[in-house]
Amino acid sequence: MTPKGPTDVLAGGFLMAVAVVALVATSDLRMGTAMRMGPGYMPTALGWILLGFGFVLLLRGCLRPGRALAAWAVRPLLLVSVAVGLFGLLLERLGLVAAILALVLIAALGGRDRRPAESLLLALGLAFFAVLLFVKGLGLAMPIWPEGLG
Amino acid sequence: MELFGNFAGGLAVALEPMNLFYCLIGVLVGTLVGVLPGIGPVATVAMLLPVTFYLPAVSALIMLAGIYYGAQYGSSTTAILVNLPGENSSIITCLDGYQMARAGRAGPALAVAALGSLFAGIVATFFIALFAPPLAEIGLMFGPAEYFSLMLLGLVAAVVLAQESLLGALAMVALGLLLSMIGTDIDSGVVRMNFGLVDLNDGIGFVPLAMGLFAVAEVIRNLEPKAPVAVLPERIAGLWPSREDFRRSFPAVLRGTAIGSFLGLLPGGGAMLASFAAYTLEKRVSGEPARFGTGAVEGVAAPESANNAAAQTSFIPLLTLGIPSNAVIALMAGAMMIHGIQPGPQVMTKNPDLFWGVIASMLVGNAMLVLINLPLIGIWVRLLRAPYRLFYPVLLVFCCIGVYSLNGSAVDLVLLMLFGIMGYGFLKWGLEAAPLLLAFVLGPLMEENLRRAMLLANGDSTTFLIRPISLALLLLAALLLIVVLLPALGRLRAAAFKEGP
Repeated sequence: MTPKGPTDVLAGGFLMAVAVVALVATSDLRMGTAMRMGPGYMPTALGWILLGFGFVLLLRGCLRPGRALAAWAVRPLLLVSVAVGLFGLLLERLGLVAAILALVLIAALGGRDRRPAESLLLALGLAFFAVLLFVKGLGLAMPIWPEGLG
Repeated sequence: MELFGNFAGGLAVALEPMNLFYCLIGVLVGTLVGVLPGIGPVATVAMLLPVTFYLPAVSALIMLAGIYYGAQYGSSTTAILVNLPGENSSIITCLDGYQMARAGRAGPALAVAALGSLFAGIVATFFIALFAPPLAEIGLMFGPAEYFSLMLLGLVAAVVLAQESLLGALAMVALGLLLSMIGTDIDSGVVRMNFGLVDLNDGIGFVPLAMGLFAVAEVIRNLEPKAPVAVLPERIAGLWPSREDFRRSFPAVLRGTAIGSFLGLLPGGGAMLASFAAYTLEKRVSGEPARFGTGAVEGVAAPESANNAAAQTSFIPLLTLGIPSNAVIALMAGAMMIHGIQPGPQVMTKNPDLFWGVIASMLVGNAMLVLINLPLIGIWVRLLRAPYRLFYPVLLVFCCIGVYSLNGSAVDLVLLMLFGIMGYGFLKWGLEAAPLLLAFVLGPLMEENLRRAMLLANGDSTTFLIRPISLALLLLAALLLIVVLLPALGRLRAAAFKEGP
């Protein structure tokens, strides 16, 4: 049987999965009593509540017509997230300039029309501006260049 | 006349050169993000949060507040000129504003929106000055049970106002509360749900969460192959509204201001709800409702005054009770806490300069908005033509640096990435991130107050029903839910009858 509201089924399934992860992660915490709630009381209760909502959402998706599945734009999703994650990896190791170059150039690949020269210029300009504003101006503690250089 | 003394003191604070400067920056940035679709006040305030660390608390809050109400101004400009609301609070302005622009009356529409907003801004400022002190006194009488019930009411209101599915919004509230439990439990010192990562011992940061769900997810969506592209507006001729426009819009502005001021006060309320309610009312009281949707000036005046009034009065619950009523205000709460100020009824007595300074700055900021915005409309419009491909890398760089600088932790950037992906998924699944964010902020406060209330009542949960203020708040929450559920129930029954034998 194909579900009538596939979006709700997916969303419900996702929420249920998160709830199960939370319930497993809180299973070893002390629950306590209603009067003296332990650290596990609220998270466990919320885990069950979320599981319930997720289940009802999933059920509704199976039984009632809902919105059709929307196509995911895989390319921007992948490239923008990789760009952000990579910024985090590179910043402390190779410095701000390299991290910004990577972030802007990779994110630019996710865009609709790609102009390499323009993106490179933008990346260099942003790196310069960011070093000036955030590191020199505001005094944020982050390396500008790779260790051992500069 | 203590009120006037306080207010004058606040005005003196707001008029200090540095605060004037940050107020100007705030309203300019606010207008800018209001004009640009794809970046809203939530993402902007989140991005600037780290910067505010380097400012005095008053200047920081003045600037952030300016962004919020400035965005209401900016988004009306694009709604009128290109039928593209910069923020969701101007969706309704498109209906008549864009029709006016098409009829060559863009100038008067913009002027009415700006003047209406100015009027609403001034009235709302005095509204805050008048009502905040008594509310703060009520707030001082609140015990843990009352606080818990109040926050529950706020969450219910946020759910009720969700545009998409009610069920989805409820689930998002639960998820937001759950996410807020990650990290060390303040009561017992036990670490919860850190999945073996020491970096999560302090919990998930609000900034990576907000920026991931709003800014990064929004960037990804705007890069979709079929995302809408703005159409170029024509030249604007003649700004000043006619005498007829004034006659029609004046009562509309009054009603819009009243509705907006009131709805902004509700936890979970805010600019968008106010603009819709004001438009609906205007159409209902109008002698000729058929004019609406064809370029009626009242249809611009009422919602634009309402959203501005609501944007401002939504500060009241934060400043008097310590309860943020929507996502932007939640970020302001974050800004206050960065500066070691606990939002709540004590703010007014402990930090009167901050309290009255921020309120008075709204007056200053609104005047600035009208003065700078009407002449600058041409520039804002030209900005609209800047291609998104140049714009989003800048946005991402600011997001990433902002997130990193708050704690100097690379893990926060990984979280930013994960929440960006999650936020994109929510957009695709019709789940709204705003209730999640509100729940995330309220979560720790709710847990703490629930625990204390239960301890004080010896584990008897009826304490929430016995205490009158708490009971009233809970009843209000229940009433809200019932009002929203009733039509849904009706429809469900109708559907059931149809499918029946």
